[in-house]
Amino acid sequence: MKVTKWVTIAALLFVAVLGFSMSMPHWYYPDAQAYQLDMNDPDVLAKGEYAAIAGDCVACHTAPGGQKFSGGLAMETPVGVIYSTNITPDKATGIGSYSYQQFEKAVRQGLRSDNAPLYHAMPYPSYQVVSDEDIQAMYAYFMKVVLPIQKENKDSTIPWPLNMRWPMHLWQMVFAPKRDFAPIADATDAINRGAYLVEGLAHCGACHTPRGIAFQEKSLSADSNNHFLAGAVLEGWYAKSLRSEATGLASWTEEELFDFFTTGRNARTAAFGSMADVIAHSTQHMTAEDRWAMVKYLKQLPPKKGHQVEFPEKTDTTTNKLLAGDYSDTGALEYVEHCAACHRLDGLGAARIFPALDNNSIVFAEDPSSLIQVTLEGARMPNTPHDRMAFAMPGFQHLSDQEVADVLTFIRQGWSNNASKVEVKDVARMRDFVKIRPSHYVLGSEK
Amino acid sequence: MKKLIVALVVIVAAVFWWQRTPLTDSNPYVFAVVDEEGKPTDMKYTVPDDKDILTQENSEQILYGKRLLNETKRLLPDNVGAAMNCNSCHLYQGKLEYGDPYINTYNAFPQFNSRAERVVTIEERINGCFQRSMNGTPLPEQSDEMKAIIAYYKWLAQDVPHGWQVVHQNTGPIDTSLQPNMDKGEEIYGAMCASCHGDNGEGMWDASGNIMFPPLWGDDSFNIGAGMARLYKAAAFVKYNMPMGYTMNRPQGQGHVLTDQEAVDVSYYFTQKPRPDFPAKVYDWPSGKKPKDARY
Ligand code: HEC
Ligand code: HEC
Ligand code: HEC
Ligand code: HEC
Ligand code: HEC
Repeated sequence: MKVTKWVTIAALLFVAVLGFSMSMPHWYYPDAQAYQLDMNDPDVLAKGEYAAIAGDCVACHTAPGGQKFSGGLAMETPVGVIYSTNITPDKATGIGSYSYQQFEKAVRQGLRSDNAPLYHAMPYPSYQVVSDEDIQAMYAYFMKVVLPIQKENKDSTIPWPLNMRWPMHLWQMVFAPKRDFAPIADATDAINRGAYLVEGLAHCGACHTPRGIAFQEKSLSADSNNHFLAGAVLEGWYAKSLRSEATGLASWTEEELFDFFTTGRNARTAAFGSMADVIAHSTQHMTAEDRWAMVKYLKQLPPKKGHQVEFPEKTDTTTNKLLAGDYSDTGALEYVEHCAACHRLDGLGAARIFPALDNNSIVFAEDPSSLIQVTLEGARMPNTPHDRMAFAMPGFQHLSDQEVADVLTFIRQGWSNNASKVEVKDVARMRDFVKIRPSHYVLGSEK
Repeated sequence: MKKLIVALVVIVAAVFWWQRTPLTDSNPYVFAVVDEEGKPTDMKYTVPDDKDILTQENSEQILYGKRLLNETKRLLPDNVGAAMNCNSCHLYQGKLEYGDPYINTYNAFPQFNSRAERVVTIEERINGCFQRSMNGTPLPEQSDEMKAIIAYYKWLAQDVPHGWQVVHQNTGPIDTSLQPNMDKGEEIYGAMCASCHGDNGEGMWDASGNIMFPPLWGDDSFNIGAGMARLYKAAAFVKYNMPMGYTMNRPQGQGHVLTDQEAVDVSYYFTQKPRPDFPAKVYDWPSGKKPKDARY
């Protein structure tokens, strides 16, 4: 008797949650305002293209070697692979038959045209704050300018029951609640434009904000909880803190940041990994005004509570030791053998050619994942018209885990750097990881 | 029951461990070895890591040799005229196939030299590069520096017996029938070389006083007596090694992007530029059997 009672209660509860969850699209999100733009107006189309660039839609919605926006990029999740979808205006396989309301719901609220929730690999939690005007212009751009490509979407490899989408409605209500862009009171227009881009279209937080247990970004804007852009690991790359703290961007000048977003490098560093993609597809094509706006916004982000603003001063003894032939520090011998031809004994590299390793904030970042991956796999800078050549570093997979750990510990603690050791087990873990890491679309590689 | 579970867990863990793919790739720097007559032997040669130097009795001497080759201009300013280091041409500390490696050097000398038309010793060969490639003056044969450089070569040869050879190429193949095009060469130089070697071929120093990107012409470059001043030698070097830091080729992101024709064009452009003379050139090829790309 008792057992049946509990089973009945559990079943009723399940049906209630299911019903609540499935009904959510109908009452939680209001329909977007009616479409107001002229879809044939060249200015509208240009604005839409610009918004799509700022949103970096092409990076995820294009498979390596595939055609622009035709989807099929594999994204690794802990439970299986999901694929981005075809967002060309092809009627049969793309979004050609999407009404504006449906497009808006997909991009800003994460709902597919059949009201199923989208995986938040599509950064709709950030896109929530994109303005009606930008979304409408983007709709015109996708419908009128983007080439329709016929290409079926691929199903995810996530097994049942994990592949059921309906529980994600609840996730959306808790972690991507509907919200509008909230300008910062008393801030300049430039800072607010920067906030709009960074928190919204450019979805910098999708990589740079730490995630919680439900894989949600711990914060979606610069609020008081201090998690926004505080640094996170995604696809084995550590997208470091962008706050004004010692391990963040405190050591960067505004000009250096601007240069980085425009050209993918500056005198001290160069973008690599997924950030190289962001610059190649997105930031370099933004207007100078928008790039400055992002700089101004980032530079006013306060340090996370309890984080150092500046490292204690440390004088460089490494350079003189190496110049004198003293290779006794752990990893020094490997550094001279494998790295110094480019990064030099003084760790200063060559401006705009080989990044410095001394006083380079990615080198002394809290988490060494990016360093390990770049050393094992190598990397290439994004190509921009500013420089004649884009340089690359080969991978050093042939070094042992111990050697990689030693040489990275050496660069993290050498010269004026003062960061933690790299452990052998971290290198071993990354070596296993890079085998399954998805490869990304590179501009110009379309067939 | 408990024991059974423990045993099962251990077995499963062991299977997983065993199934794990090996963590490191196999070493790409392993070569066959032949004996004096060129016959294959059972020996395999593996390019050694510098860590291995520390296990040698004379490790300090070997490390000194390594430093002299890497930082020649800074450490031996009296013997080096050009703004170059030995390893500006002998890449990756002389460990790289196609990059003028020193792998066979210790075991290959004394050797017949076609330019001098006689057998030369290893000391003479080293001083040849000091006087031509480095546009400098010879090192005394009994100096600590000369001994240290040779000690490095000896270590690099590992236990390969004297006279035997590691099977690999010092320089890669290039089509020497190709005719150079100066205009194309200039264009390629601007697009693919000038970022590092400078618009005027002047090269670049690093902040700590070592030469970083060696000059390709002018007073600080190698003189006309150097092998690199010869078109097809330069082209073979450039094709497989330059630009560096540009591809994903281990260990220096080097070369393999230009076609033979492009390598010849760009090499023509920089080898023909003004550079120091080499007065002792009059003693080269005494019986007149000059190669067609000699500069004198
Ligand atoms: C970080 C990667 C990423 C970026 C950036 C991204 N998307 Fe997506 N998008 C996805 C993935 C993955 C899916 C599929 C999710 C799923 O299957 O649940 C998706 C789904 C969609 C859908 C639903 C398509 C369908 O078949 O119903 C639309 C529409 C869409 N994206 C538009 C955009 C637009 C417009 C942009 C740029 C403003 C953009 N996306 C940027 C990853 C991304
Ligand atoms: C797809 C993931 C991703 C996105 C989206 C992304 N980043 Fe990054 N970012 C990274 C990674 C990984 C790194 C570390 C590699 C590097 O330094 O180039 C990085 C590095 C950086 C750095 C250099 C930090 C340093 O100390 O070297 C800056 C600045 C930066 N990102 C700003 C931004 C801004 C602003 C945005 C939004 C426009 C953004 N990123 C979006 C992944 C991302
Ligand atoms: C052939 C020249 C070359 C060699 C040798 C080399 N690097 Fe690099 N390194 C580069 C280049 C070029 C970049 C920039 C890559 C990019 O931006 O995608 C780079 C980037 C890096 C970075 C990221 C820094 C930044 O700001 O972008 C680290 C860390 C690094 N290298 C470490 C090493 C270590 C450790 C070794 C030796 C095991 C090494 N490198 C050997 C050329 C080299
Ligand atoms: C401008 C480029 C350049 C510079 C600088 C240079 N070399 Fe050479 N070196 C060469 C070339 C080219 C060869 C011939 C390789 C061949 O023909 O296979 C060579 C050959 C050698 C050989 C003979 C190798 C063998 O096994 O046959 C030795 C030894 C040598 N160099 C030592 C040095 C030393 C020591 C220095 C520094 C003092 C130096 N080189 C500087 C270009 C250079
Ligand atoms: C990324 C910077 C870079 C680029 C680009 C580059 N080089 Fe080099 N080059 C070097 C370095 C560094 C060396 C010294 C050897 C080493 O460490 O690899 C060198 C050495 C040389 C040498 C032998 C030394 C000498 O001075 O004679 C020649 C010849 C040369 N380069 C020619 C070229 C040509 C031709 C190109 C264009 C096709 C080119 N390089 C592009 C960095 C570069």
